[in-house]
Amino acid sequence: MTVIEPSIAGTAAGSSRRRATRERRDAWILTVPALSLMVAILLAPVIIAGLLSFTNYSLGNGGFDWVGTRNYEELFTRSTYEKMFVATLTYVVTVVPISVGLGLGVALLINSLGRFREIYKTIYFLPVMATLLAMAIAWEFMLHPSIGMINRMLEMGCGTFLENVWPFMAHGCAERFPVWLGDKRYAIWVVCFIGIWQGFGFNMVLYLAGLTSVHRELYHAAEMDGAKSAWERFRLVTWPALGPTTVFVVTITCIRAFQVFDTIEAFWPQGGGPNKSTYVMMFAIFEKGVQQNLIGIGSAITMLFLLFVVVLTLIQRWLVEQKVHY
Amino acid sequence: MTRDWWKHLLLILGVIIVLVPFYMMVSYSFKSPGEIDRGEGGFFGRQELMVDERCVKLRDPSRNDIAAAVPQFPGLSDSAIRDALVDEAMAECSMRPVVFNYTKAFTEAPLLRYLMNGVIVTASIFLIQVVVALPAAYALAKLKFWGRDAVFALVLFCLLIPVHAIALPLYIMLAKLGLTNTYAALVVPWTISVFGIFLMRQFFMTVPDDLIDAARMDGMGEFTIVWRVMLPTAIPALLAFAIFSVVAHWNDYFWPRMVVTGNRDLFTPPLGLREFKGDGDGSFFGPMMATATVIVTPLIVAFLLAQKRFIEGITLNGMK
Repeated sequence: MTVIEPSIAGTAAGSSRRRATRERRDAWILTVPALSLMVAILLAPVIIAGLLSFTNYSLGNGGFDWVGTRNYEELFTRSTYEKMFVATLTYVVTVVPISVGLGLGVALLINSLGRFREIYKTIYFLPVMATLLAMAIAWEFMLHPSIGMINRMLEMGCGTFLENVWPFMAHGCAERFPVWLGDKRYAIWVVCFIGIWQGFGFNMVLYLAGLTSVHRELYHAAEMDGAKSAWERFRLVTWPALGPTTVFVVTITCIRAFQVFDTIEAFWPQGGGPNKSTYVMMFAIFEKGVQQNLIGIGSAITMLFLLFVVVLTLIQRWLVEQKVHY
Repeated sequence: MTRDWWKHLLLILGVIIVLVPFYMMVSYSFKSPGEIDRGEGGFFGRQELMVDERCVKLRDPSRNDIAAAVPQFPGLSDSAIRDALVDEAMAECSMRPVVFNYTKAFTEAPLLRYLMNGVIVTASIFLIQVVVALPAAYALAKLKFWGRDAVFALVLFCLLIPVHAIALPLYIMLAKLGLTNTYAALVVPWTISVFGIFLMRQFFMTVPDDLIDAARMDGMGEFTIVWRVMLPTAIPALLAFAIFSVVAHWNDYFWPRMVVTGNRDLFTPPLGLREFKGDGDGSFFGPMMATATVIVTPLIVAFLLAQKRFIEGITLNGMK
């Protein structure tokens, strides 16, 4: 036995070295498809967009000229793009707080109930599942100025006390109710409303999951310390405990809000709404880059868009790492 | 319960707002054009027989038809025969509005084809995502090799890039390769799911090494281990990922809109619906809502049947 042992150890060491080599080789074979696709589909386009944003390239043309930062200058000087930034920011700044707030509010309400929790949860989640384009068309019918359900309902309020207390109503009854999607005063808000309608259920579900991890004892402890009102308990216990959830919910809602496209293209296939009031960035990329073949300017918008998204995500990661619970 | 009444009141108000468009979509898909115009008929409409004007027009009897029909109506004048034939056409072209809307949805546009495209595209995207991501996730979680940390760092970096954001350069690349207006264009940009790699890697980290060592003892190579050992353990995670992936791509409108233009054979359901809207005149609200209902239904039904799994799947990226 004692004689054989070293030789066993020897072959074992040899075979383990051989195995390590084989493991390395196999590992690379397993990783290479994913790695090459990552480079080709995710990294290369970013670089390409970055380069093209400094050119006047268009598909079908053989050559192109380097135009320096002209595309970017155009972005920051032309009024069309000013409208684009205004529309995108209006949408994001409206949709994010409201849909996060509603998601939290509904989650808290549902969480405090004994019965019917599941039913509410299911119903509020339905818009998240439904094809947004189909629902946009359903909303478009509801908002139809003459045969839409919304203006019909408003008309029913004519002649009642509502006319006296609500100037909008009085005005609508005297003349006519808004052409919701054709009026630049309303268009962007309608789109925001649909965005909130579609997205808050998603936030609600994430908050409900977050709420299950808040310990009951914490509430008792807070009560002992004199946090009597529900608001105090929320401020001292629930809100800090939901910190990580909130960071995530806000980031993902922001990124989704930046990407709004379906509703806008469905309502206004040409040109981004009345007076370009709903000309959001995704639509601009589509219109400039694909429809008008102005790849340079489209790429510049793409780069700006990526910048927004990356900055947002980095802020989120930083917050998570800092474990900031405001 | 009595103490909670105001909560229920608020939540029910919300429920109404959430459900109204669904209610309207389904209700319009049942109603006749007249009922939609006048806003009457409740949820189901009255389902009175209606005449499809276009069908009648198509069957408008020609001189030859009248001549051919003479033996059927002996002793009648030509104009009387004509009236009789028109009546016959009217009778055959009349149907319940619900039947009208749903047959139109499937006959006016190749809706079945669109649905099939939707299935082909979502299924191939998911399958390729798994085939690409699973081996990489296994290697990153369980194998030691030079460069592993760099690859994983790259995965984390790529998580920052939403594919919709780089749609334009992707579109240019596909156009240069002559791939726009093909199934490949619909599928290729989604074949790599860095999120899938990340998710599966986190999952595989929790799988005990003993399991893999035992498989190696049995003489399995790394490739066999991925598909015979790791895949079965990953089924629950894969199911959640499947829901995440399928819902996203069945509902996606932006990307198909970018790369498919005009070629109806490649339309996914949302594109088909969009085209329907584009060439619809006012009288086509019913069939259009029927189309919308058909497109939305599969996922909603699946969701209602397996809510827990769906909610888990859709909120997957909440685990990042």
